[in-house]
Amino acid sequence: MEIDRIDGRTPNQLRPLACSRSVLNRAHGSASWSQGDTKVLAAVYGPKAGIKKNENPEKACIEVIWKPKTGQSGKSEREYEMILKRTLQSICILTVNPNTTTTVIIQVVNDDGAVSFKGYGFHLLPCSINAACAALVDAGIPLKHLAVAICCGLAESGYVILDPTKLEEQKMKAFAYLVFPNSVLSVLPEGSSKVVGEPTESGIITSVTQGAMAVDDYFHCLERGRAANEKMSAFLRRSLQPQLPG
Amino acid sequence: MAGKAAPTPTTYSPSPTTQKTKPSFFKNHDADWVRPDGRGFHQCRPAFFRTGAVNAAAGSAYAEFGNTKVIVSVFGPRESKKAMMYSDIGRLNCNVSYATFATPVRGQGSDDEDFSSMLHKALEGAIILETFPKTTVDVFALVLESGGSDLPVVISCASVALADAGIMMYDLVASVSVSCLAKNLVIDPMLEEESYQDGSLMLTCMPSKYEVTQLTITGEWSAAKINEGMQLCLDACSKLANIMRSCLKEAASGSEE
Amino acid sequence: MGYSNASGDLSSEMEVDAFRRLFPLRFYERHLAELIRPDGRALGKARDTTIALGAVASADGSALAKIGLTTMLAAIKMEVMTPLKESPDEGCIVIEFHMPPICSPLVRPGRPAEAAPVVSKQLSDTILRHVKHFSVRSFSGMIDLKDLSLVSGKAAWMAYLDIYCLDADGSLFDVALLSAVAAFSHLQIPVVSMNDEGKLIVVSEENGEKDVVNKEKRKLRLNRIPFSLTCILHKKYILADPTAEEESIFETVVTVVLDTSDQLVSLYKPGGPALAFTSSVQDCIALTKQRLKELQTILDESISGMEVD
Repeated sequence: MEIDRIDGRTPNQLRPLACSRSVLNRAHGSASWSQGDTKVLAAVYGPKAGIKKNENPEKACIEVIWKPKTGQSGKSEREYEMILKRTLQSICILTVNPNTTTTVIIQVVNDDGAVSFKGYGFHLLPCSINAACAALVDAGIPLKHLAVAICCGLAESGYVILDPTKLEEQKMKAFAYLVFPNSVLSVLPEGSSKVVGEPTESGIITSVTQGAMAVDDYFHCLERGRAANEKMSAFLRRSLQPQLPG
Repeated sequence: MAGKAAPTPTTYSPSPTTQKTKPSFFKNHDADWVRPDGRGFHQCRPAFFRTGAVNAAAGSAYAEFGNTKVIVSVFGPRESKKAMMYSDIGRLNCNVSYATFATPVRGQGSDDEDFSSMLHKALEGAIILETFPKTTVDVFALVLESGGSDLPVVISCASVALADAGIMMYDLVASVSVSCLAKNLVIDPMLEEESYQDGSLMLTCMPSKYEVTQLTITGEWSAAKINEGMQLCLDACSKLANIMRSCLKEAASGSEE
Repeated sequence: MGYSNASGDLSSEMEVDAFRRLFPLRFYERHLAELIRPDGRALGKARDTTIALGAVASADGSALAKIGLTTMLAAIKMEVMTPLKESPDEGCIVIEFHMPPICSPLVRPGRPAEAAPVVSKQLSDTILRHVKHFSVRSFSGMIDLKDLSLVSGKAAWMAYLDIYCLDADGSLFDVALLSAVAAFSHLQIPVVSMNDEGKLIVVSEENGEKDVVNKEKRKLRLNRIPFSLTCILHKKYILADPTAEEESIFETVVTVVLDTSDQLVSLYKPGGPALAFTSSVQDCIALTKQRLKELQTILDESISGMEVD
């Protein structure tokens, strides 16, 4: 059942992560995030006075603009924008700055090589969610918690690998893109933060799948994604902490 | 993202629509040919109206004349666009669009812009705009299937939808067109007949008031023919208005129960 | 939820309609506590569903699907294309979802609905899944594009599927998918023959012309038909097949797509304030399994209803 990964990773091993904040001068907050050869730049502008289209007297509004690496935005980009917007809305505390709009701009910088491969998938989604989340922190937008996005690839044999590269993606039959709240370091006794018998961090903020799979396989992906959450959260904490004031 | 949307190959419809040769019956003008659906020259297609087709709208109606099927939704009166100046009387905003599958060849619906303004002009005179100052009533039409005489059907259907929405009107607006085929006038033409017509006349009127709100004539017409065509349309309009009225009455009595 | 205190004292004095508009969340939560919804449905129950095949005569296949008040009209038009070099034996399917201004007060001409391109893409992903993405060996979509081939390398069918939302009242994707699937099962591929210029033209069946290219292939084979159910997650409640009002009050929706071979085609949860835990995901999948059987029966009935005529 073992699958040898081309880059020699273990199935649960993520590609090397890198995150740098405040990479742009004019934006209120920005971050660049890379996972292996995929790199995404996120910029946050706001909160600004609410624009008419998204006016809401009780809540802040998040707007997402997705810029592909090349070419024009199409239907796929509209969908990424919608998923990202709703994901970010769920981690922000929207009632703090009512009637404002915060714009998040995602620029895909590098898309893991392979041009021949038709980019129908959502493989850029996890990277951009992570980047957007770091940029929101950088801009000082009040958040309930962070969002950690992970891609699980499911091979024909039912084997699950985490964070596949594009080359590996072509051998997979299905994918699950999952977003979880970050796992927290808490001094509270275990169990106090549990909702319906499960810790908050195992709740799914966003789930997008591609390709058909058995229901059990999906739950298998969930498990593996949750396991990776801890590592990702630790990385996020490390890269965001030193710059926090105080 | 490069190479994402693969360039869509060019396609063509295999239906033989390009041959617009006039059917053989047409060659000898005076012969008593029959219309493709067997109707008499001055006989309209059976008209069917139903109100309340779209629940999300303030008022709506579905109309079916033979193969011509349209839906009209009415929204409002609601807030006018911010850019609009203050107005003592209400505004009417119309839009007509075609479903891509409405026409024999995909996506060849008629000029929507043109139809939208024609619909606007046809209805404008019948609506009591003073009853909703500062606001806008939106009339949106979608042609689901184009089977000829699309615009007259849209106009009649819109007037039923306006009544369904409770917008005040002086009278219902009914619209009928006639095609001139050589020496003959045929009423309520089908798509096929419209494709080889020599001229067309569309008349929109308020039958109870006996007032015309719109009259469009294209092609070559003699004065006598115009008179004949108008009279045909006026008669048909008043009959059509009866059908529209009975549909509205039915809906109203049904909702009371 | 800051309203809850304010509304507590008012609810007894206020008219129901006013209360519903002013404190929608509180209004719904009172119903949910009794395990019933304002329209009288149980939480896990979908609205009445109907399918009418062959609603559009100008199309090669069409269907009108209605779930509750949400109405969708899907129609397929077949055109001929030259197949792509890399796949000479395959046709093509283009899926477009439209929200014309008639369907909702939120859509205006010139300002297209935000949801339209997203639903459009979701539909393409669900119906054409794998076709673009994976090599032929792992084909598991609903339609084999090879069935759309006419003359290898020369001509193939391009199926244009257009879905129009006529009335929008929640669960748009579910109804759109149902109408799309129904339109495909109603599709009657026209009989064509090659003319002198090498173009394919429609010929009538009775003529018995000898050059007919596709005598047998008049119907598309549909494997593994996908069906979907959208649910709302709110606290411990799961509401199946939400209306537009419910979708706007509770913002968390989960759409599950299963196919007739019990594979999970999609589990779609785009954000939302509520988190989905394993148990609620399992419940949503179980509800979808039930719904799949219902929808399959409704579709089968509408198809057999057509054959009687």
